[in-house]
Amino acid sequence: MRRILVTGATAPIGAALVRRLARDESVDQVLALGREREAAMSIESSTKVTYRQVDLTRFRKIRDLLFSDVKSMGIDTVVHTALHRNASQEGERVHRLNVEATRELLRLCERHPTIEHFVLRSQGAVYKVQADQPAVISEDHPLNLDPKAPQWIRDRVEADLTACTQMGMSPMKIAVLRCAEVLAPATGSQLFDYLGSKVCLRPMGYDPMINLLSIEDQVEALYQAVLKHDAQGIFNVPGRDTLPMSELIQMVGRADLPTFGFMLNPAYRLRAALEKKEFRYDMNHWRFHFSGVLDGRRAKEVLGYEASHPLRPTELAQHWHQDPSAPFWASRTR
Amino acid sequence: MVKRNTVTRLARRMMPKDRLARLSDLKLRDSGHGYDPFGANREWIGFAAGTMRFLYDHWFRVSSHGAENIPKTGPAVLASNHSGTLPFDGTMIWMDVLEHTSPPRVVRPVLDLFVPLLPIVGTYFARAGAVAGSRANVRALFEANELLLIFPEGTGGIGKPFKERYQLQDWRVGHCELALRHRAPVVPVAVIGAEEQMPQVARFEAGAKLFGAPYLPLPATALPLPVHYHIHYGPPIALHEQYTPEQADEPEVLRDAAAQVKEAVAGLIAHGLKTREGVFR
Repeated sequence: MRRILVTGATAPIGAALVRRLARDESVDQVLALGREREAAMSIESSTKVTYRQVDLTRFRKIRDLLFSDVKSMGIDTVVHTALHRNASQEGERVHRLNVEATRELLRLCERHPTIEHFVLRSQGAVYKVQADQPAVISEDHPLNLDPKAPQWIRDRVEADLTACTQMGMSPMKIAVLRCAEVLAPATGSQLFDYLGSKVCLRPMGYDPMINLLSIEDQVEALYQAVLKHDAQGIFNVPGRDTLPMSELIQMVGRADLPTFGFMLNPAYRLRAALEKKEFRYDMNHWRFHFSGVLDGRRAKEVLGYEASHPLRPTELAQHWHQDPSAPFWASRTR
Repeated sequence: MVKRNTVTRLARRMMPKDRLARLSDLKLRDSGHGYDPFGANREWIGFAAGTMRFLYDHWFRVSSHGAENIPKTGPAVLASNHSGTLPFDGTMIWMDVLEHTSPPRVVRPVLDLFVPLLPIVGTYFARAGAVAGSRANVRALFEANELLLIFPEGTGGIGKPFKERYQLQDWRVGHCELALRHRAPVVPVAVIGAEEQMPQVARFEAGAKLFGAPYLPLPATALPLPVHYHIHYGPPIALHEQYTPEQADEPEVLRDAAAQVKEAVAGLIAHGLKTREGVFR
């Protein structure tokens, strides 16, 4: 029987994973960690699931938890999904959660008597996407190591590399899942926020291919990685939807407005300031120009993961339509 | 970009029904929304064929020779001479393969890495099946059993001065390496006519970087001359039967393999020049 610890369990992806694991007969115990109080959690009440409110940036508390409850429960696998989701926030505290907490968690898990398997949910955003790079991204694709990249990206690259450097040296099996962007609310999706406007601006003359992941497929990929506890390495996790940016905009019922590239950064900075939105054009500049589609063959061969849940545009559109905080010009569909 | 239904409507207007109907048999890997991972799309291919039809049928009056040498299935490389200041030779080969294969195959031209940087043009080419020439892109296409079009001369061929027409320039070996590694035959192709379409007076390297291009050409004519294109396809060269995939790392083997392909293309050019009646006829 498997005993699993899931970090970030109060976020949509972590919560969905906890629910999925709780339904599995081969899973005996799920220890869900989150920053919120249990009452705020949207996980099913199950005898298998135990929730602990923990701040991952408090390393002493993490150590206490791992070497008391986690040890006594006999947890064998850790799934680390906790990442700061707010792109507009930067600084030491954000870095501490994104990178230092990952590093510390890895270090503690390596010393732990019962933990044998560590799964990190990383993101496709760690890859460098440029005109001279392949449009189909395999696991050996260059990473975005640009020191001028926003902290949101730099942190993700550093956390990813922190786990990758331990592969083969650690007594645990480490799997890093580089996932396509999950287009869903409260997941930190930049594109979800971008598509929240009635009119979506993008650079004229460019219409790159993008790949998007549904929460169902994201959870399935993590679940498969948990099941294959011998699997070690890096795995790209693409979604079912590969389409041009313009088609995505039209699919969710937004107006597609190609415009001059130099206008986009100021326009979206203004939008962020006025509407308190998270989307930053400078952070996504590359994907509005050049295609970057994850190649998921390795995940299919080793983990048995294959994307099968397409996005549901009607549901997405409904979410934006019902957003009461949206101003009148930003969130009316069709 | 233009919406897909608009593209479909335009393609219907520009292409005769029977030629457009053939495209319904086109095999294209669909990643879920009618596009392959590189952005190629059936409706856009119909639209691109419609826009190229005037050039193919009336302006360059393309004559095709030996199209039966194009493999009907499986991965293969078309290796061609390159010329003409602007890449009309590539678009005419693309159109010719579409017209003369049954069921139709769309050849995937492998472009210089600066092309995706070009607004509108980069996207239009991607929709029609072209890809930027990175190793991983080409590998992915071979693994998907696609037909690739490679110009081993690169920009050295298209930018050569008029006095060097029909003289093959520095012939790169990358296409042979990939063909060996992926067990794909190489079909030599010679384009006759393109070398005279747009004589180049000068080329400027300064300022070209603004467009992401290696240079800006200054042609003698504003439009390409209505030369008569002849496209000759030679018998496939099965390099993979002469060499093992492991030998794809050996420089000597690659040089020999590339020399075979270059010689075959040069032979087709000599034959094409001998048999044509004139530049415009």
